[in-house]
Amino acid sequence: MKIASKTALLAVTTIGFLMSGCSSQPKPLYNYGDYSESYYHSKKELTPDSALELQKAIEYSIENAADSRSARVAPGMYANLGYIYLKAGKTDKAIESFNKEKKIYPESAHFMDRMIKKIEIAEGKK
Amino acid sequence: MINKKLITLIALVGSILILSGCGPSYVTKGTEFPKMYEQAPRSILILPPMNESTDAEAKDYYMTTTEMPFALMGYYTFPTEMVSDIMKQEGVYDTEILYNMPLDKYYEYFGADAVLYTRIKKWDVSYMVLTSSLTISIEAKIVSTKTSEELWKYTGTVVVDLSGGNNSGGGIGGLIASAIATAVNTASADYVQYARTANKRIIYTLPFGPYHEMYMKDQSVQLIDQTPAKQ
Repeated sequence: MKIASKTALLAVTTIGFLMSGCSSQPKPLYNYGDYSESYYHSKKELTPDSALELQKAIEYSIENAADSRSARVAPGMYANLGYIYLKAGKTDKAIESFNKEKKIYPESAHFMDRMIKKIEIAEGKK
Repeated sequence: MINKKLITLIALVGSILILSGCGPSYVTKGTEFPKMYEQAPRSILILPPMNESTDAEAKDYYMTTTEMPFALMGYYTFPTEMVSDIMKQEGVYDTEILYNMPLDKYYEYFGADAVLYTRIKKWDVSYMVLTSSLTISIEAKIVSTKTSEELWKYTGTVVVDLSGGNNSGGGIGGLIASAIATAVNTASADYVQYARTANKRIIYTLPFGPYHEMYMKDQSVQLIDQTPAKQ
């Protein structure tokens, strides 16, 4: 009887260890939040509401970037935000976001510079 | 008696041989996609998908599913919606044009090392007498913008039974319930989640990119060989 209960305890402990081992999964590389879902909703039906939902998802993903394995803002997120600002006519904020994208991801520099130049030409700055 | 045993043994060995031959054959990332490791693209420009399915909306919906998985594999992915908008502003509306564009244009305009082409081969519901099933099949291909070479290609397919299951054996009542379930599930089915599953069946075969811890360390990872028989 005693041996049986010891065995049972051992079994329970082992299962406990195994389960805790399974639950400690690594965090994803980036924190996307609801970006994919919101992007889909805005494609399914583009309304002021779904557009706002997408913008909020992007902002959430940026604000909570630290909660990820890379602790970096995901690729394209600042560019997405900048593009939303650009469409809303907030060109200063657009340029600011495009520069942030460029700083985190040098791979985007060429494209971001092109966007910034477009804005400057449209505004007649240069 | 001995003969009988011998026959059984031969049959057993034979069936094992046949069975092992019938399973999928595996290759590694390193041997299947060596150019991906040689050219080591850092950035991928995801182009709007080419839709060959019967569902006109599949293109817009599928487009929302590709950015995340490729970024999570460690590549810089250009934001798909913005890129597609910019291309329209540049006068490129038709996916056909996109797919026939010289690849160095993408390097020139976006600075992208590689381009991702996706082809929606199937996004269709097929109806049988009392059941229906959804098939989503996606072919994905990465091509270098510098050498125009194909670096990686894989296809993922998902087949989903939309008939609601568990209604068998219920007599006439069961059959009717099953038919109703078919109609309801088809109308409300969220196909995009299945497209994401198809992506998962594709993405595991892609060598990791520079922003991933496993970059250049995953050559021995196995995947199911999709190239036609080489004999």
